[in-house]
Amino acid sequence: MSVVILLAILLPMVVGMALLLVLAAKKEKDAQPTTEELKRLHITVAAVLVATAALGLAAAWLGSGDEGVTLFYLMKDIPVYFRIDELGKLYVTFISIVWVMVGMYSFVYMSHEGKEQRFFGYYLIVYGVLIALSFSGNIVTLYLFYELMTLATVPLVLHNGSREAIMAALKYLFYSMCGAYMGLFGIFFLYRYCDTLEFVPGGSLNMSLAQGHGTILLIAVFLMILGFGVKGGMLPMHAWLPTAHPVAPSPASAVLSGIIVKSGVLATIRVVFFMVGADFIRGTWVQTAWMTLTLITVFMGSLLAFREKVFKKRLAYSTVSQASYILFGLSVLQPQAMTGALLHTVFHAFIKTALFLTAGVFIFKCHKTRVEELPGIGRMMPKTLWCFTFASLALVGIPPASGFISKWYLAQGALQAKVGVYGWMGPVVLLASALLTAGYLLSVTTKGFFPGEAAQESYEDKEPSMGMLLPLIILAALTLLLGIFPNPLIGFAGRIASSVM
Amino acid sequence: MAFVQNFPFFCIILTLFGGPLSSILSGKAAKYVNGGIISAVGAMNVAVLAFVLRTGESYTYMMGHFPAPWGNEIRIGVLEAVMAVVFCIIMLLSMLGGIREREQHIEDSKQNLYYIMVNLLLSSLIALIYTNDLFTAYVFVEINTISACGLIMIRQNGRTIVAGTRYMIMSLLGSGMLLLGISFLYGLTGQLLMSNIKESVEGIVAAGTYYRPLLVAIGLMSVGLAIKSALFPFHAWLPDAYGYSTVSSAAILSSLVSKGYIFLLVKIFYRVIGFDIIRNSRIIHVLFVFGILGMIMGSVDAIRQNSIRRMIAYSSVAQIGYIYMGFGLGTTVGVVASLYHVISHAATKSLLFVAGSGLTEVSDGSTRFLDLTGAGYRHKLAGIAFTVGSLAMVGIPIFSGFISKLLFAQAAVGHHYKTLPTLIALAISTILNTVYFMKTVIRLYTPEKAAVIREKNFCTIHAWQEPVKSAALICFIIVNVILGLRSETIILMIERGLQMFG
Amino acid sequence: MNAELMVLIILLPIIAGALVPVIPFKNRKQMLIFIESAVILNSVLVWSLLLNRPTESFVLFRFTGNLSVTFRLDGLGRVFAWIVSTLWPLATLYSFEYMKHEGHEKFFFMFYTVTYGVTLGIIFSGNLLSMYFFYEMLSLVTLPLVMHTLSREAILASRTYLYYSIGGAAFAFIGMIFILSYGVTLDFIPGGVLDPEAIGDKVNVLLIVYVLCFCGFSVKSAMFPFCAWLPKAGVAPTPVTALLHAVAVVKAGAFATMRVTYYSFGADFVRGTWAQDVILCLTIFTIVYGCSRAVKETHIKRRLAWSTVSNLSYILFGVALMTPLGLTGALSHMVFHAVMKICSFFCAGAVMYKTGRHYVHELNGLGRKMPRVFTIFTIAGLALMGVPGLCGFISKWNLVRAAVESETVLGYVGVAALLISALLTAIYMMSITMRAFFPGREFDDKTVEGIEDPNWMMLLPLFLFTAAIVIFGIHSEPVIAALSAVASVIG
Repeated sequence: MSVVILLAILLPMVVGMALLLVLAAKKEKDAQPTTEELKRLHITVAAVLVATAALGLAAAWLGSGDEGVTLFYLMKDIPVYFRIDELGKLYVTFISIVWVMVGMYSFVYMSHEGKEQRFFGYYLIVYGVLIALSFSGNIVTLYLFYELMTLATVPLVLHNGSREAIMAALKYLFYSMCGAYMGLFGIFFLYRYCDTLEFVPGGSLNMSLAQGHGTILLIAVFLMILGFGVKGGMLPMHAWLPTAHPVAPSPASAVLSGIIVKSGVLATIRVVFFMVGADFIRGTWVQTAWMTLTLITVFMGSLLAFREKVFKKRLAYSTVSQASYILFGLSVLQPQAMTGALLHTVFHAFIKTALFLTAGVFIFKCHKTRVEELPGIGRMMPKTLWCFTFASLALVGIPPASGFISKWYLAQGALQAKVGVYGWMGPVVLLASALLTAGYLLSVTTKGFFPGEAAQESYEDKEPSMGMLLPLIILAALTLLLGIFPNPLIGFAGRIASSVM
Repeated sequence: MAFVQNFPFFCIILTLFGGPLSSILSGKAAKYVNGGIISAVGAMNVAVLAFVLRTGESYTYMMGHFPAPWGNEIRIGVLEAVMAVVFCIIMLLSMLGGIREREQHIEDSKQNLYYIMVNLLLSSLIALIYTNDLFTAYVFVEINTISACGLIMIRQNGRTIVAGTRYMIMSLLGSGMLLLGISFLYGLTGQLLMSNIKESVEGIVAAGTYYRPLLVAIGLMSVGLAIKSALFPFHAWLPDAYGYSTVSSAAILSSLVSKGYIFLLVKIFYRVIGFDIIRNSRIIHVLFVFGILGMIMGSVDAIRQNSIRRMIAYSSVAQIGYIYMGFGLGTTVGVVASLYHVISHAATKSLLFVAGSGLTEVSDGSTRFLDLTGAGYRHKLAGIAFTVGSLAMVGIPIFSGFISKLLFAQAAVGHHYKTLPTLIALAISTILNTVYFMKTVIRLYTPEKAAVIREKNFCTIHAWQEPVKSAALICFIIVNVILGLRSETIILMIERGLQMFG
Repeated sequence: MNAELMVLIILLPIIAGALVPVIPFKNRKQMLIFIESAVILNSVLVWSLLLNRPTESFVLFRFTGNLSVTFRLDGLGRVFAWIVSTLWPLATLYSFEYMKHEGHEKFFFMFYTVTYGVTLGIIFSGNLLSMYFFYEMLSLVTLPLVMHTLSREAILASRTYLYYSIGGAAFAFIGMIFILSYGVTLDFIPGGVLDPEAIGDKVNVLLIVYVLCFCGFSVKSAMFPFCAWLPKAGVAPTPVTALLHAVAVVKAGAFATMRVTYYSFGADFVRGTWAQDVILCLTIFTIVYGCSRAVKETHIKRRLAWSTVSNLSYILFGVALMTPLGLTGALSHMVFHAVMKICSFFCAGAVMYKTGRHYVHELNGLGRKMPRVFTIFTIAGLALMGVPGLCGFISKWNLVRAAVESETVLGYVGVAALLISALLTAIYMMSITMRAFFPGREFDDKTVEGIEDPNWMMLLPLFLFTAAIVIFGIHSEPVIAALSAVASVIG
């Protein structure tokens, strides 16, 4: 199986790199590729995407379980090491689904952005990096791919090359770096005070060694939470999200929001539950501060989204808010809340990807980027807007759509955890935020179908082609289906949660 | 008594008569005579040095076989001989190095006068070094002053007259104080012969009665000699005197004349008063403080100059500061360091003056830094020599300055509370030295535009065009490197000489 | 025999360098072949010496009884010797191409080659005095290289450089004097040579002196507040800035601080005193300060110079931790930073050589025309940032590990400073990469027409350095093991 893991990681990276090199070797770089060339490109990318997904899933699910593979040794006691565990399986699965879907969508979408080869090159590289990230067996490996992910996604953000996009990419880069370095600060201390750098459910903090160094360790852990929280859009370093998302091509924003943000969550889970151990921070100021930050982010994100008029920016703020749902679920350090958090990770990945893809359709077909321009859109592309609506409902948390399940678990967990005032404040904030979510998403639906005074005489049919619509429908369907048949997933997430606490 | 033992006496007499002799000779002949005399004196002193080193003890030499207190005595030890040798070498090289300038700067009719002065100067220096009689010392101090004045003023360009007058006034002030001190001491002890005074002084100190007058006497003599050797803040006369006189004069004045006084001071400390008494008096602290101030202020002033000659002159103030600081430490090691610095500074400073004159020569006689741009390319040997001198001044290993810095620092570490001030002053002074010397060196090697060279009438001189000067410069460089690499012998001799003093 | 070889190795480049302006070469090529073969020959000699290391020391000459210029090769020296002897031939190769447009080549190569010998002199120095001697020599022989262009700016820079260097040496001199008086010997002995009986109640004086001495030597490695000279010296031709002001000269400063800390004063004497705190504070401040200045600077080479300031203080920080682990970190950063920084400087040099552009904002879009150079620059930048898988990460890891294990507040602050600096590094390096590769939509391709990658003489060193960056990054074990063996001696 170990070969399969490596293949799943290396195949997309190598092919992506090759695409970029071929591009670099070309004489006229800006020349528009012929249809022939484009077709070849699409076939290659599609084949690699599917192959990688197959390899990744095979590695995750077909193996005998606990197995690892060491790529090489960075230092004497620090290998670059991959291991498959439950959390990794979960991540690889939903990442693969989203990645293939978005990839399919991009074949069509990217035709109006141009520079496809560059885009797909980086797109594939990021895929490989993400699989590696999910399978990382120790914190240094995780950090390595975390950094690589940042670097490889930057070109996705600045794809269109406008000044705005470049500035946004730089902002994204520096925020991420800042976060990564805060994480690295913690890693240094964990190296000193943990028995091993490998991920051990429940943590491997060496209490006798840490004796007397509690304060600095707590500071280190807090910095890690903050640092990895940057990718998760947690206050106070969430500002890159609303800047980077609108300028990136829609497929890129979709995966940024749906997947990349989750990598921050993954890193946080790895640190808190697999290295430090929940017990170490339970009841300390770190937990309190963490909960406070996430709750503020949840509420503030929704509020900003509600006020935002640029559609993709609104979705970005929504991501800020939703990602902090997940982080809040983690911060209460309670198995049920963590189950909720993991569920929400998966659900939100599908939902937010679907939402961004819809936004992409609006841009692709109608060049509409602002919410005010959207009334009546449902008449032009009813299928698209229906997909949007289902995803929105799921995000708001209306049963039986998926979001309800995760939020239920989150609230349950918060109420059961012994976290004092946060026990009830959490659910209240979640609820308030859900209301706001309904406000900012469903208003688009209502206006879209019922434009009211803005209604035009007739609407031309702008429904996108199947290439774009199909991924959208699949994702929207998933958000519904997972809400209706949640049990396998709940059970799986519950197992992960209970294994670490 | 070995024949060699007469040599010091011969030296004094020879040089003393060399003066009048020169007055009846033509300039050219006087030049050769002078060169011969210096070489002969140097050779004789080498012989004396060898003799003293072999016997391992000092001896006194009664002139005219009249015993004290009537007669006059000279005393010969290792230290004296070493100093005499060094002085002769430096003087010879300085004279050689400045030949061409002398011919330009001094009227033909007065050429021979210059050599009178030089001969007298050498005679007074040798006498100052060897004499065992305080009053004789005073007499030669005066001869020294007068001849030095002559050396300054003989280049007649207005400024030197002013500078010479200034020098004369300050110098006489110093001599006056020295004389006062000597008379105080005479009043206290009734002796003029150094060894005799020392015995009496010991008695006075033991009795404790006339201790204060004794201190006044020491103070007067120290200050007098300090003025004459241009210790800060009595250095006002120096820059003009060194800056405007002809190069041989400047080199001799800076490296020999002031050093002669300093050597006299050492003699007074060791042979007249006794170093233990000096050590316990507060005068030592005063010298220390002014020494350190001189080190810093001299350099600061040097940085502000815009003429190379005046810069070198101000650098002397700083270097004199080093020497007094060494005395001020009040330890034998400190004095050894100071004496070594006397030698190394003499070698370096005269090198700098001569090299500087070479550089000036190719810059149409201008000493301003602006005109010296690229002079290192126009007169290569002078440029190299100046660089060597600068490096020595800064204290780069393998050149003489490094060893004196090392000795000073080692001496400072031995002291229990002057350590850090001394070391930090040394470091700061090193930096300041770097600033002005290396700035100059960098300027020398910054090429000047060809147009400017043509317009300003700059010329290029190759080493072989001025063989004498080139030889002098090369010798200077060699002396510097020898002092830097083979210092141990000299230090050893200084130490032995000081023991003989005691 | 081996001991004498050390002298030969030092003298060979000095003599070869001195011969350059004397020998009447028929054409440029002959001169280049002469120089390159001399340098390579010397490097080969160094390697052969490194591989069968002489244990005895060799006294060249004595100043006075106990002051001598002595050569000896120990572990620390070997590390530095490896760096220098490997980089020199490559840098020389690079400069052949680069110096074409700078002129005065004879004098340039003369001093460039002489510097090789003097640097080796520092490395082989067996006692404090010899090191001081070659340290001063190094200031002097590199001076003409800094003022090479002879522009007003270069002259001013060279003055500043000299004042700082010699001033620093003046303070280091104080330290030497104290070791002379309070130590058993001037020789470098792991663990220090101080004589506890001689010190008595003067511990504090000696600590003051230690701080002065450390600061004095660290002037060369540009520790705050003595860092101003380094960016100014960036006016020198790029091979000089790259090899000397990123490797040889500045690392000689760091090397000297290692010597005084571990081999003269002894880490035990300083560890845990206020002196250590002072030094740690200074280095930590420099780490952040250098980077922030780099971010502000828009001249490429000066930006890299400020980056060097910061990175050198990484090394000094490791030294100041006073543990074998800290020294391992410092040594590893010394090795790796050498490769990374020389690589980025050479890239900058290649850009300047090919385009004549000196400022960051002029680099827009060059990445497309010089893809090799800028890819390499990016890799070097990533390595400097400390991205895992490249060598910068390894040394940072070791440094930080030492800092964390020191379990002191300043150690922790140092860790934070290192990371802040890494972030700032990301800003100042990545902004260049981004500009070069992603100039933006409005970019006019005409402005970069006709520009291409340089020829093999420039590219070969770059490729080798890049390979080294990656190889050290993923397979650092042998190097780190060797370095910790060196560092363990002082424990």
